[in-house]
Amino acid sequence: MRLDAIAMVIRSKNAGPCLLTLDVMLPDAATFAYVRARLGPLRRQVAQRYRLSENQVAVLPFEPALAVKITLPREIVSGDIGDRDVYGAQQHAALLDIEL
Amino acid sequence: MTAIARLIDDFGRRRRPLRSLGASGQLGYGIPTPALEAGLAQAPDMIGVDMGSIDIGPAYLGSGKMAPTRVGAKRDLRKVLRAARRLDIPLIVGSAGSAGARPHLEQTLEIVREIAREDGLACRMAVVASDVPRPALKQAIAAGRVRPMDTMPPLTPADVDAAGNIVAQLGLEAFRRALEADVDVVVLGRACDTGIFASIPSLLGFPAGLAMHMAKIVECASLCCVPGGRDSILGVLDDEGFELESMAPHRRATPSSVAAHSLYEQADPYEVREPSGRADLRHVTYRAIDDRRTRVEGAIFEPAERLTLKLEGAAKVGYRALLIAGAADPHFIARHEEIFAEVKRIVRDLVCEDTAEAYRLGFRLYGVDGVRRWAEPPAHMPREAFVMGECIAGSAERAEEVIRTTKQYLLHHGYEGRLSTAGNLAFPFTPPEVMIGEAYRFNVFHLLEVDDPARLFPVEVHRLG
Repeated sequence: MRLDAIAMVIRSKNAGPCLLTLDVMLPDAATFAYVRARLGPLRRQVAQRYRLSENQVAVLPFEPALAVKITLPREIVSGDIGDRDVYGAQQHAALLDIEL
Repeated sequence: MTAIARLIDDFGRRRRPLRSLGASGQLGYGIPTPALEAGLAQAPDMIGVDMGSIDIGPAYLGSGKMAPTRVGAKRDLRKVLRAARRLDIPLIVGSAGSAGARPHLEQTLEIVREIAREDGLACRMAVVASDVPRPALKQAIAAGRVRPMDTMPPLTPADVDAAGNIVAQLGLEAFRRALEADVDVVVLGRACDTGIFASIPSLLGFPAGLAMHMAKIVECASLCCVPGGRDSILGVLDDEGFELESMAPHRRATPSSVAAHSLYEQADPYEVREPSGRADLRHVTYRAIDDRRTRVEGAIFEPAERLTLKLEGAAKVGYRALLIAGAADPHFIARHEEIFAEVKRIVRDLVCEDTAEAYRLGFRLYGVDGVRRWAEPPAHMPREAFVMGECIAGSAERAEEVIRTTKQYLLHHGYEGRLSTAGNLAFPFTPPEVMIGEAYRFNVFHLLEVDDPARLFPVEVHRLG
């Protein structure tokens, strides 16, 4: 199943100038459980799409909000020369078509 | 009697829940009046506003310029200052002027004094600047008391000299010292947003974990609601938990929307950190009181072994100039990478004949790779694309020379397979070159261990009116 077909919210933002944090919020407990059971494949695909090694990608389920949080190092510190997204608010786009 | 003394006196006579009004999470961009007025009608005990964030990037911190306009900041400060004086309750402002360095703080204080004078408001104000003295910081580096955050390299004395401004995110402790100066208004330079709303609870003896958790939520106004927004929010804190209610009737604070807010801009949703410790959120419960209000319990405070402040600093990297244009030729769009590389070479050969290169020129093709460096090229090239050329050089004149030369040679570059021999670019206006001015980068994002914050960041008391 494609992530954008099952998630209620898929978003990205800086967590400080060096990190990017992505939230995938799911509509119900069953969908959350489905994604939670597939965190390994999720992490692998995120690493590939963001050009990182898997150990640079932190994936954390957050049950109170039926969400999965993904945190990555930014390629370029926010606002530095060559940065393309100072707030990091459009870096979620590469998550949308991940198949789980 | 000052507003804070009155509040302490009131709680001394009768202990009751504390009512905090989060008026704005981004002061200077507009505070919706209906929700603010609805909040004031709820008899709040304090008003808090945050003006800052590191998200806005390094330019404001480095240059000392405020992110909001002076007009916007004055309009919003007037609203909250008049409200606080009308109700005779404390007003707490954090991260003055956006980046919170001395220039931002001074601009904010000047506005506050101007409002007090124009509106005939009288009060006592405590101010704490958060600028880190450079000699003290260099000593701390030598003593091994500075360490990098996340992916930053270790801090060097050269970084300290290069930064335009260096601030520490002051915490609860600094807000408390300001309140203890017996005042009506508190204005801090760069500060943790949690300190704005956790400091009065701390002074009144409420559980620190609950206060910090509530503070982290209400500092964003009604962002924790569905639909999220900027309207004021009321947080009512007691000894077992707190209740949240948006002051805009259509915004609902639900258990899931409030829980989801813990994720926002945070790497770890199970904790809230500030210089003196952390609130552990692993055992937090969220319960609906009705369809618009949620009760939250269970955050536990864990004090840190020593006070650790987050430092932020930005250094000038040069001057930025841009080229703005569009393209609709499929051959140009398809071959853009080699065209950009060729034009960079042509420009370098022309502008470096008698001068050192000393600049960086880059291009983005929006429609293809403007927003992110994708792992794969797109399946189809777009029909049109936006071209942005960016030059950063050691002087504004050099950046302008490079970008104007670039415009000419990108417009007329004869690439292989070209059909449109009269010009490669569509300029939406002229001049298509935009001189942005000074460019900055974050060169300080580190942690500093501090023994005596009161000496480094003293409280100043001002009398208004």
